[in-house]
Amino acid sequence: MSYRVSVDPEVCISSGRCVADAPDLFRFDADEIAEPVPGAPQPADERALDLARACPSGALLVHDADTGEEVDVFG
Amino acid sequence: MSAPTVTEGGTVVTLTSFADAKEAYRSAELRQSLYDEGEVVMADVLVNLHGREHRDRRRVENRMFRREVFERYERELFPGVVARTLQPYVERGGVDLVHLGHELMLNLAALTAGVDRPEGTAEETARLYAYMMRFIQGATLAHSTGDRAAEAAAVAQALEDWDAEFLAPSIARRRALLAAGEELPRDVLATLLRHEDELGLPHHVIRREVAFFLLAGGHTSATAFVRTVDHLLDRLETRPDERARVADPLFLQRCVHETVRLNPSSPVGRRRALAPVRLRSGVEIPEGATVVIDLHAVNRDVTVFGPDAAEFDPDRAVPPGVAPFGLSFAAGMHVCIGQDLAAGVVARGGADPDAHLFGLVTGAVGQLFAAGVRRDPATPPRRDTATARPYWGTYPVLLGGDR
Repeated sequence: MSYRVSVDPEVCISSGRCVADAPDLFRFDADEIAEPVPGAPQPADERALDLARACPSGALLVHDADTGEEVDVFG
Repeated sequence: MSAPTVTEGGTVVTLTSFADAKEAYRSAELRQSLYDEGEVVMADVLVNLHGREHRDRRRVENRMFRREVFERYERELFPGVVARTLQPYVERGGVDLVHLGHELMLNLAALTAGVDRPEGTAEETARLYAYMMRFIQGATLAHSTGDRAAEAAAVAQALEDWDAEFLAPSIARRRALLAAGEELPRDVLATLLRHEDELGLPHHVIRREVAFFLLAGGHTSATAFVRTVDHLLDRLETRPDERARVADPLFLQRCVHETVRLNPSSPVGRRRALAPVRLRSGVEIPEGATVVIDLHAVNRDVTVFGPDAAEFDPDRAVPPGVAPFGLSFAAGMHVCIGQDLAAGVVARGGADPDAHLFGLVTGAVGQLFAAGVRRDPATPPRRDTATARPYWGTYPVLLGGDR
């Protein structure tokens, strides 16, 4: 299975955990909301799950790249 | 026990498993209610907000809680603060660890909260210390064993007095800097003032918010500091061969994490259900129910931490996705904003000690052991009887001299 990670900007609380843990993948936008680094590759599946689990607000979402369905990272 | 029980106060669901607790902390339908009795100081503060109001304020305040800021505190500011605070007690040959912990962490919390001490005298710090201890009393009123109404009134008066003496001048100095276009200190108060229009905070909310950061930063770290020293002294009594390990900050940090796992600052988390919630385990939480997260049990969940989960073991391995301090810093939207500052970043395999953040509690414990801390055989530590929380009331230790 292959995952894709995205940020829900309405949910992000700017904790900066993803930016600190994965600066190659995430950065802050002008409003200090996390966003993927443009052109960055998608993380490996396990790393994607780890990052999403660590996001305190649940703003980091993981989707199945094939079906587009959201993955339950704690399931 | 996770089945709902009906009490005079309504339906209560108590969660004791790690998985249920983590899911509850992350549920947007369960709102904070741990501080309902402590509203005198906790009303409208960050940790008590929910939904959009919480998100907007946390977004603003999180800008101040970044790793580069923590690095400056840990590497540049705090080692000197600890050394200066500790020195007179080393010269005196001992100290009450409970007092030392709060004095140390007050110095840090005043910096992060944005409370100036223009006199820079011991008397001024003693007055701020007294205010902080009063605010702690206010935030933990739910666990008080005394006259809660009288205590709440005393806390309210202390807020007024502290505002006049410390907060109002701190605000005035930052407003002047803002007006002059000069650089502001990186603290919570300055952050709030810079975003005052965006957040629309009245003065009484700013007052409680800054008081909250003062008490939370001071108290939680101080209790973790005292308890870590206690656990470590116990361990070294039974394992004297490990004495050399206290010079290793990675080992000390693991001791801090293990201490925090076994002794969360608040023994419970509490939430109120805004809607019916069904957890993956099948636990049903009716709308309006109070959810009690029994952190003592959750952090001793043997399915997560192993059959010896109740033991202090800084070498314990935890499963992927589980923090070594369990859920003591909570999880979800209210995860402790100062977690990395107090306890550092969890070390992965091959962590570079020169680049790693160990946390301020780790640094303070390290300096204390370097000063030769040991229990005072003539005066054993005693528990605090003014609260149902398992705090140490006094913990006399000896420093320096003959070891």
